[in-house]
Amino acid sequence: MAYHYVVTAQKPTAVTACITGNFTSPTDLNLLVAKVSRLEMYLVTPEGLRPMKEVGLYGRVAKMKLFRPPYEKKDLVFILTARYNAMILEWRTGTNGELEVVTRAHGNVADRIGKPSENGILAVIDPQARVIGLRLYDGLFKIIPLDKDSTELKAASLRLEELNVFDLEFLHGCSNPTLILIHQDLNGRHIKTHEINLRDKEFSKIPWKQDNVETEASILIPVPSPLGGAIVVGQESIVYHDGQSYVAVAPPQIKLTPINCYCRVDERGMRYLLGDIAGRLFMLLLELQEKMDGTQTVKDLKVELLGDIPIPECMTYLDNGVVFVGSRLGDSALVRLAPAREEAPHYVQPMESFTSLAPIVDMCVVDLERQGQNQLITCSGAFKMGSLRIIRNGIGIQEQASIDLPGIKGMWALTLAEDSQYHDTLVLAFVGQTRVLTLNGEEVEETEIKGFVSDRQTFFTGNVCHDQLIQVTDEGIRLTARAAGGWRLAARWAAGARALSVVACAGARAVAAAGPRIYLVAIGDGELQLLAEVCMEEEVACLELGPGGDAALLGVGLWTDISVRLLRLPDLAPLHTEKLSGEIIPRSLLICVLEGVCYLLCALGDGSMFYFTVDQETGVLSNKKKVTLGTQPTVLRSFRSLSTTNIFACSDRPTVIFSSNHKLVFSNVNLKEVTHMCSLNAQAYPDSLALATDSTVTIGTIDEIQKLHIRTVPLGETPRRIAYQESSQTFGVITMRVDKLELAGAGGGGGGSGGGAVAARASASTSAASSSGAAPAPHKHAPPAVDVELHNLLVVDQHTFEVLHAHQLLSTEFAMSLVSCRLADDPNHYYAVGTAILNPEESEPKQGRILLFHWCEGKLTQVAEKEIKGGCYTLVEFNGKLLASINSTVRLFEWTSEKELRLECSHFNNIVALYLKVKGDFILVGDLMRSMSLLQYKQMEGSFEEIARDYSPNWMTAVEILDDDTFLGAENSFNLFVCQKDSAATTDEERQQMGYMGQFHIGDMVNVMRRGALVAQLADTAAPVARPVLLATVTGAICLVVQLPQELFEFLHQLEERLTHTIKSVGKIPHSFWRSFNTDIKTEPAEGFIDGDLIESFLDLSRDMQQETVQGLQIDDGGGMMRDATVDDLIKIVEDLTRIH
Amino acid sequence: MSVMEFLKDLPSYDVHNFTLFNTDHGIRNCSKRPSIYLPTKDIPSEQIIVTEKTNILLRYLHQQWEKKNNTSPKKRDQSHIEQNGDESRPRKRPCLNSPLN
Repeated sequence: MAYHYVVTAQKPTAVTACITGNFTSPTDLNLLVAKVSRLEMYLVTPEGLRPMKEVGLYGRVAKMKLFRPPYEKKDLVFILTARYNAMILEWRTGTNGELEVVTRAHGNVADRIGKPSENGILAVIDPQARVIGLRLYDGLFKIIPLDKDSTELKAASLRLEELNVFDLEFLHGCSNPTLILIHQDLNGRHIKTHEINLRDKEFSKIPWKQDNVETEASILIPVPSPLGGAIVVGQESIVYHDGQSYVAVAPPQIKLTPINCYCRVDERGMRYLLGDIAGRLFMLLLELQEKMDGTQTVKDLKVELLGDIPIPECMTYLDNGVVFVGSRLGDSALVRLAPAREEAPHYVQPMESFTSLAPIVDMCVVDLERQGQNQLITCSGAFKMGSLRIIRNGIGIQEQASIDLPGIKGMWALTLAEDSQYHDTLVLAFVGQTRVLTLNGEEVEETEIKGFVSDRQTFFTGNVCHDQLIQVTDEGIRLTARAAGGWRLAARWAAGARALSVVACAGARAVAAAGPRIYLVAIGDGELQLLAEVCMEEEVACLELGPGGDAALLGVGLWTDISVRLLRLPDLAPLHTEKLSGEIIPRSLLICVLEGVCYLLCALGDGSMFYFTVDQETGVLSNKKKVTLGTQPTVLRSFRSLSTTNIFACSDRPTVIFSSNHKLVFSNVNLKEVTHMCSLNAQAYPDSLALATDSTVTIGTIDEIQKLHIRTVPLGETPRRIAYQESSQTFGVITMRVDKLELAGAGGGGGGSGGGAVAARASASTSAASSSGAAPAPHKHAPPAVDVELHNLLVVDQHTFEVLHAHQLLSTEFAMSLVSCRLADDPNHYYAVGTAILNPEESEPKQGRILLFHWCEGKLTQVAEKEIKGGCYTLVEFNGKLLASINSTVRLFEWTSEKELRLECSHFNNIVALYLKVKGDFILVGDLMRSMSLLQYKQMEGSFEEIARDYSPNWMTAVEILDDDTFLGAENSFNLFVCQKDSAATTDEERQQMGYMGQFHIGDMVNVMRRGALVAQLADTAAPVARPVLLATVTGAICLVVQLPQELFEFLHQLEERLTHTIKSVGKIPHSFWRSFNTDIKTEPAEGFIDGDLIESFLDLSRDMQQETVQGLQIDDGGGMMRDATVDDLIKIVEDLTRIH
Repeated sequence: MSVMEFLKDLPSYDVHNFTLFNTDHGIRNCSKRPSIYLPTKDIPSEQIIVTEKTNILLRYLHQQWEKKNNTSPKKRDQSHIEQNGDESRPRKRPCLNSPLN
């Protein structure tokens, strides 16, 4: 049996719907955004959009519409999910002042029979909120009359004689709900209206219709009263029709690309925004004229191009010219419609972008910095919004300000103003000097403090008792006190002629060391007094004063014998000696109490760190543990953030260390390197950190929790595949660019070429540092298309992400697969590209190529080319050979000494072998529609043998090998399943069949699976999970699947079951319904998977609810005895699980 | 017609909205996420959406039958002719109402 845990590391980011309304109160103006199965509510404020609440639904939002019944003061939301769960939701402020979402009505509107429409689900609501209309199945129209007083809303199906409906809407200003629709028959597309008789539940009459509108008419826009009627948007024309008048225009601007979404700007419906699939924004304006009888009619339609926006999926007008543009193909945006500042006719001003990874087409998991922390590089977005995204886990620093200052050796924040709770000064130490910066609001200026030395490197400075400042340099300790009109030196102390080397200070005590001698100095009012002095056996490398005032512990790290000593103040009596193994000297010590546990941390010169728990009475160190934080000497500093003490480890791999459930947790920080840091709580930068790197000081705030950080490398064209090549420090990326084919100019000069493709805009492949490959040639087979798709192999630098080289493929050639490989005895690493040469007349590619490239010293060389009979969907390196799936076959190519690819063996038993994964001699094949099969390569015979197969008809979208017997698959109805081969079965027949070990509705299309995790396995933090696999989806989500031990699985399963009762589903869709494996042909309960998203929501519950959930849950106490689980047990287990992603 | 006319007097719900939005430092990237709503209180739905179980054809036949019945309640075996129905309707109404009088 196999037990798995699936959890979302990055929620879906594609915006599928958005609406503006008054949802949270009658006066609030809100934006509601749907991202697949999540709804985000925002409030429109003078400062912009303010996030309010996010709600998860147990379903994918297919349609989201707002409506307001006459008796309501707020807008309600109607949502229909892809599995036909309908709901009416209301946002309201609950008794505790918290926003809550109330399900006003719910129910499933699926029919047992009926052919789901190929044009998708359509949902419309009557403008007077009398009825909701749904087109779910061809030939049927479902109505839900909105009857306020009944406890049941009775949905009924009406027969719709138009089978092929493209869009439908309710018309405004009709006494009975009246539908208008665009439908297509053999003659073309037509518009037609239907009046609905709600009492008899039938269509009563056809008020008007218009046959033969434009053949590509696809969008209906109902126009509000008093005008009424509707606008029909086609590819070339826009028509207004209200039964009597018919106004048509064919604006040349809209011809190039189809319009795919619109939003109404003004209430009266005079202006609309139209967005097209190239990401251009238009405004449509209705021009009116007055008729004889005084009423107004539409005289003309005007269309104007406003500018560029993200490729829209949906748009909504917010307020004061600001529009939200939701996209599925890249970042969504907030834009302002404004007069052009420059001369260019650009009336769209971007304001804010909302990061989206969607769609993730491919990705690779790489440990770029070779520090055990993986990063994910994804091929995200499409067309002009194509990009690479670099995703890593860590705690984020939100940069507030930065100052260029190289060579910082230390940094402290001081408060100089009297009775101030804020820092106002930053002291920076450099080799041989000290500089003082005053923070004046957001401004920073250099100043001096009287009594401070500025021509020496400061080892320590800070505010100490009696409103004094202390400064320690190699020449001694200086105490500076407040005096009339400034500061003055109050006392000095020096260790004779010896130069101080390290120092520690806390409140009224300073400890300094010179060579092997340690001095304890009391800080008095205007005086410094030596209290004690000891001599250690070796030179002191680092010092740290623990908490405890006069009787504090002193930690001392020594050179030569590589040890840590603990001494007790005030007489510096030795308590404990801890020898550190190895030869690397301790460089930084820290003693601090986290969650009531006293720790001593000791960072060494090589970036590794020991940590111990300290017995504060005896000074004994125990529970020694070691972690590697970086490769450079590490400086440990403690800081307070959100009223808890945390530790910052400054190194080439900055880490924040905090305590959770009495365990130390290590979290990466999204900065490249930090040499020094200090807490900073200035008026303009409250609760911040000052962080120094080699060249700059950055002031920033720190995230509460670790999360994924996303960096974007825009490409301007569609990325399709990515591969990493460590030897050349590059990524190979396959991209697709759409060029406009320009026909030979009429007055064009000589040459007489048939015209060539012209890049639509500058993008990664056109602006690469160098290029090679096919010159754009006229098409042989394809009729002269306006758009030409050109595929390129890009070589991208792994550090700078600069495009070093672009190699263009043939004009009808599509690059389908890419791998970096080392073949046979050849020492070189090659990029192998698999292509398909397309002929529009063929149903599948009949020919293609496998190309081998070598990137060396800034040059790309093609080292081999192999013609193949089909499209090469996948390439994998396999035992020093190249494994390819070509149409329905799986083929193995060997690399001969003549540097040629030679076919070794093939396997034929697929429809289309889309995906390949390998482990040892085993090959997992994912088929277009025949699920997964497992092949074994017989080395001796040089042949493939099919070992086992899943015989269910699953249309695969991704596959992965979990272990020798267990395989993970994703299919196109948004399900995951796990198959296992049974090698121990008695008969051949049983052995050949893969058994189902788990199935689960993940609710998203998984495009790619890669073995690996985003979190390094550090000491202490590991939950007992194994074999992580990362999944990435069409909607930009990143999920993690891990294997669980059986006991944990069973325990979590119980918790999951309890949580489904504790957490009430918005829309009242049962959790079991949502997670059940569901395809066109079957629905089966989920099994073998734990829903990690539900488990993690345990942490967000109130303590009372947690208590209620835990009630009666049994846990193994570690010795095999069962006892009642406590809330803290659960928090510990779940928090550990949250740290796996 | 200039684009300015398209863009003049854009609707305003609250004139203050977006006035303090600062784009001087370039395009902002929204990093704040809304807090997550986890409902633990069971608020029952006021209304349940149910789908009428009657087959669409049966309902049609029922409606036709009722219509026919209404139009000719006395004689079931009367041959059904469409024109008849229309003509007979005005005659029926008094009949139906008569018991009330």
